[in-house]
Amino acid sequence: MSVPSPSVAPVLDRRGFIKIGALAGGGLLVGTYFRFGAASALAETAPAAVASFAPNAFISIAANGTVTLIAPNSEMGQGAKTALPMIIAEELDVPWDKVTISQGDLNPAYGRQAAVGSGSTPGNYGPLRQAGATARAMLVEAAAQTWGVPAAECTTENGAVLHRASGRHLGYGELAAKAATLPVPADVALKDPNDFKLLGTRVPGVDNEKIVTGQALFGIDQTLPGMVYAAYVKCPVFGGKVASANVDEVKKLPGVRDAFVLDGINGLTPGVAVVAGSTWLAFTAAQKLKIQWDQGPGVSQGSEAMAKQAEAFGQADPGAAVPAGATAIEAAYHYPFLAHATLEPQNCTALFKNGVMEMWCPTQVPSAGQRSVTQGLGLAARDVVVHVTRLGGGFGRRGSNEFSLEVAAIAKRLEGTPVKLTWMREHDFAHDNYRSNGWHFFRAGLDSAGKVVALHDSFVKMQGGPGDMTGGGFPFNAVPGSQVQSNKLSGTIPTGYWRAPGDNGNTWATQSFVDELAHAAGRDPIDFTLGLLAAVPGAGAPGGPAGARGGRGGGGFVPAKMEAVLKLAAEKAGWGKKLPRGQGQGFAITHTNNAYVAVVADVTVSQQGVLRIQKLTAVVDAGLIVNLSSAEAQVQGAMLDGISAAWFQKITIEAGAAAQVNYDDYPLLRIDNAPPAVEVNFVKSIAPPTGLGEPGLPPAAPAICNAIFAATGKRIRTLPIADQDLKWA
Amino acid sequence: MSSFNLNVNGAVHAVDLDDNTPLLWALRDTLGLVGTKYGCGIGECGACTVLLDGEAVKSCGLSLKKVGSAKVTTIEGLARGGKLTAVQQAWCKLDVPQCGYCQGGQILCATALLAAKPRPTDADIDSAMSGNFCRCASYTRIRQAIHAAAGQPTAAS
Repeated sequence: MSVPSPSVAPVLDRRGFIKIGALAGGGLLVGTYFRFGAASALAETAPAAVASFAPNAFISIAANGTVTLIAPNSEMGQGAKTALPMIIAEELDVPWDKVTISQGDLNPAYGRQAAVGSGSTPGNYGPLRQAGATARAMLVEAAAQTWGVPAAECTTENGAVLHRASGRHLGYGELAAKAATLPVPADVALKDPNDFKLLGTRVPGVDNEKIVTGQALFGIDQTLPGMVYAAYVKCPVFGGKVASANVDEVKKLPGVRDAFVLDGINGLTPGVAVVAGSTWLAFTAAQKLKIQWDQGPGVSQGSEAMAKQAEAFGQADPGAAVPAGATAIEAAYHYPFLAHATLEPQNCTALFKNGVMEMWCPTQVPSAGQRSVTQGLGLAARDVVVHVTRLGGGFGRRGSNEFSLEVAAIAKRLEGTPVKLTWMREHDFAHDNYRSNGWHFFRAGLDSAGKVVALHDSFVKMQGGPGDMTGGGFPFNAVPGSQVQSNKLSGTIPTGYWRAPGDNGNTWATQSFVDELAHAAGRDPIDFTLGLLAAVPGAGAPGGPAGARGGRGGGGFVPAKMEAVLKLAAEKAGWGKKLPRGQGQGFAITHTNNAYVAVVADVTVSQQGVLRIQKLTAVVDAGLIVNLSSAEAQVQGAMLDGISAAWFQKITIEAGAAAQVNYDDYPLLRIDNAPPAVEVNFVKSIAPPTGLGEPGLPPAAPAICNAIFAATGKRIRTLPIADQDLKWA
Repeated sequence: MSSFNLNVNGAVHAVDLDDNTPLLWALRDTLGLVGTKYGCGIGECGACTVLLDGEAVKSCGLSLKKVGSAKVTTIEGLARGGKLTAVQQAWCKLDVPQCGYCQGGQILCATALLAAKPRPTDADIDSAMSGNFCRCASYTRIRQAIHAAAGQPTAAS
């Protein structure tokens, strides 16, 4: 397996997109198997020669046997650039160490190129198996015709077709020219997942060698001849605009090439652009800007006022009617805004020339970046060419693409000159689409037997963006008559998708409150949860496989699957040990992106209040595991990401702006606080895979908080944990 | 503006830049060595780590004036003659990188650690590596990879 070096010279040729079709040596190119709606402008420029080959765009096989597979979705660390081509290679029956992987640029032929919602693997699993199997069937047919034998007598192995009866075999490269002349079969047989050889194994990331040798991969690494460097300064107060700026003064600074105000562009946050001979010169010049802001009404917003508004909503809500004889339990939980804080700050590179905007975008959703540019600058989609780079972290941040429009607006003014825009870290924190804050005012009733007989959640968050509570999820579905009331804070703080949207905060709150109820009922928390799961409608039925419903979201909750992962986690973690004060175990569960996850945490808290996480034990049912190495890494990383946020992080709003400006006041988990033991177990399954980038995150924080309670008797109801006093005596 | 002769990865490069230019930006934008990453600009994240005479240092706050004639090793200069070091090999084999953005800095920091302590304990690792964030939290595998590479020669030692 090898990965081609990214081309350095810009192509600036619309046909560059589909040049892969014009393979040297008469190779086979199997074009797209599914086409999207009205073909875009780009698809219209495809030469006829390609279309005639074509049921899918993911595979090319050259006459010399070189197999190139396309990774259609962006790589941000979740492993899509390795896992998706693995799915093709499995059905195609090519040896992994012989294939070349190419990152797909924006191209409608690749289907839905959105690396969001843990959707890359479940969304592509079926189509990419089909793509591989279709190509394999055509190669088999080509061999069968060559030998004059029935196709059914031929098998494939390691990139060759075999006819065992006669001992003949032909490599895929030798068959490429003939296969390319054959009709594309409409329906082909897929492998039995029990026969998979590659899927489920540990395959290291395809870019690893480039990463460990520092080669240019990321958006911020793009370098074009004659390139200039830009910074873009926006009003720290959300919704603010530029009233005036000393651009003429800044233009005269050494190394500065231009400085100008951008405003009145559809979709663009107004600001001041500075263009210079290096990133450093652009940053230092940007710091010398004197900008008069028209801050607008957003300046009156603050976290304290939001908390008061949320409290008022909570108090106005009567909560659950607790039946006579039952004990009422109430608790209020709060989590703050979070930044994404991708280690690679937002950036983008663009060149506007001959009416075409060519762009190099570290984006999770390249089509959204393209759309922002077409809408903002009045360009046709065919004239906005988007190359997809590797992303230095995504976590949902790069689903929005402000940087694309910003750099395009700058590049359009500097026609003919390539521009790289890099956000200063301070701007990255100031202009995020934050994980929304949230409040849960819970009220429950426990009867004398410790059964939950009433459950009500009055939920409040910033308006807009994802993260709403729905009433149908666990544990609400276990309590007849339960209710979730949602209210929104007025305000203009931009919120957006942050790893495991909704669940990243709401699962912490609900799983902590269920733990409270278990302790109030005097029950073992896992037994208590198993009791609740047994009360969910449909409990006891085996249900479908975890991923059977495919796609994203949390539909189709199967209580038996949740129960199975929880029981296994309890067993693996040695749940129920009698522990001295200062040591504790806690657990939490989630059903996120169709995966079932249970996490048990072992913590210690010193009398002085120093928290150490000793061990995390996860059990995950995510359907079939495509790449065991990245699947395990995603669950490890997602759990620690959840802990990092819950332990240390908050964005507070003061006078309409984010108060935290860099990592010194928004710390990430460091290695010395990472648990020494992190164990990830997968339930063996051949069900279609669910996503896995997010599901490990939601249960980690409540597992830790519940373990802290077990160790100290202190219940964490406000995040981050670092703001709470954990001392005990 | 001043002239500097930067000794980077075994070659001397003459550059004309402002005295206060951080080494990070001279490497990235002037010499085209983009393996050294910008993360925070305040020495908090470690993405910009390079080796200065074998010591792991953060290059975002290190002005060219202060670099002087010290030997700078960037992530591009670690492998010699196309052969990955034991640390780089362990990183690949154990599939440490997730997004990969911090990993150049992590590898250089681990290289300096192993040069000083060929058989580090977990506590040594935590202490030496705690200046380098991994936003993907690949810490479990970072520890494993350092142990895997321990006791083997490091190119920068």
